[in-house]
Amino acid sequence: MKELLQKHKQYLLTGVSYVIPFIACGGILIALSLTYAFHFHLLNDKGAPDPAQGPWFVQNMFTIGVAAFTLFPAVLAGFISYGMAGKPGLVPGFIGGFIAGTPQLVEGKNVSAGFLGALVIGLVAGHVVNALKKLPIAKILRPIMPIIVIPILSALIVGFLMLALNLPIAKVFLHLNHFLESMESGSQIVLALILGAMIAFDMGGPVNKTAFFFGVAMIQQGNFAIMGACAAAICTPPIGLGLATLLARKRWTEEQRESGLAALGMGLVGVTEGAIPFAASDPLRVIPTIMFGSMIASTIAMLGGVGDHAPHGGPIVLPVVDKPLIYVLAIVTGAVVTAVTINLVKQFTEKTATPAK
Amino acid sequence: MKLVAVTACPTGIAHTYMAAAQLEKTAKKLGHTIKVETQGAMGIENELSQADVDAADAVIFATDIAVEQEDRFSKARKIQVPVQAALKDPEAIFAQLK
Repeated sequence: MKELLQKHKQYLLTGVSYVIPFIACGGILIALSLTYAFHFHLLNDKGAPDPAQGPWFVQNMFTIGVAAFTLFPAVLAGFISYGMAGKPGLVPGFIGGFIAGTPQLVEGKNVSAGFLGALVIGLVAGHVVNALKKLPIAKILRPIMPIIVIPILSALIVGFLMLALNLPIAKVFLHLNHFLESMESGSQIVLALILGAMIAFDMGGPVNKTAFFFGVAMIQQGNFAIMGACAAAICTPPIGLGLATLLARKRWTEEQRESGLAALGMGLVGVTEGAIPFAASDPLRVIPTIMFGSMIASTIAMLGGVGDHAPHGGPIVLPVVDKPLIYVLAIVTGAVVTAVTINLVKQFTEKTATPAK
Repeated sequence: MKLVAVTACPTGIAHTYMAAAQLEKTAKKLGHTIKVETQGAMGIENELSQADVDAADAVIFATDIAVEQEDRFSKARKIQVPVQAALKDPEAIFAQLK
């Protein structure tokens, strides 16, 4: 059972690894064109920024970004299925994911099963293809299996299933959105704390990605606060640890001081992975500390009403963030808290604890 | 021993290459030869040919995601570990080979 779950995690992460560049590309292009429209007051009749009124370049940049984002559920499901079933998994995975990403009208709002639906249908597609591969087939028919029988049969099965699943999954998202919107400030803090802890916990691993994708999904639904909280939490661990090596140089080894500078750089462009060299050598002290720092950053961002329009974190997304000053404040506070805490923790435990490798 | 390895993590920008470096360092220390293929965000780098794989005594997969072109390794003796294992305790992986 444990092995089965492990395998499925591997399939999901395979899809995630292929989809990350799509999200970064689409998200940043969309965010840049929205920022342009916002800055020059090109608003539609609902008061939202409208890049279609911008110059030729901005309009097209928006279209290109939207194209990358539209592909996202299809690519995600396609490569989850590919990870499980190989080449024959691509057709039903892409089709299922495409259907999951197609918006439909529910309770007067345009929603899609999106990321969540794509995750589920990608796994289903992989299983369907693997089952079809096992069908007993006469030898003369074998060549047509991979190019005709499996693609058509699996696409039909997965397609119909996704069409049936679409509405319930879209409704879950809608309810989640209602729930978040209706949250009082008290429970908003809880949400921000959870997101911050998740982002820092495995620095780019599956737990981090779950929180991250939740933020991305919420951007698609027009809620930017979740991603705002995530964005602040994403860059706090590497920046905080880098800062710590600068603040107390003699407490860190030569090697760590070097990775400290690299961590600062990675933090600035929103790559939590920069903290890994520290956490790998000293997880018991580093991981709780960076979780603490990220929780503080995400909470400040959430309470301050920071919104992030791009599915990415760190100071690099500053131009597309609502309330940039509070965003910076959140990151700086989180980073300083991380740096001071880890140095204090090291000071009080260095002699008793086993030395780091 | 003559070994080959593949490293791959979901994001493919940090863990993948750090794990590869750890495996190379540890192999050298323990007196093995190793060639490590990385399957990161840039795709396959330092690619293992079929000849590399056939000549190796075993293949180490330090991967959190599905391995690309896995059919190359169909006949090889395999050891599968998470990427984290290569970062935290690479010597334990080599101990499994005995």
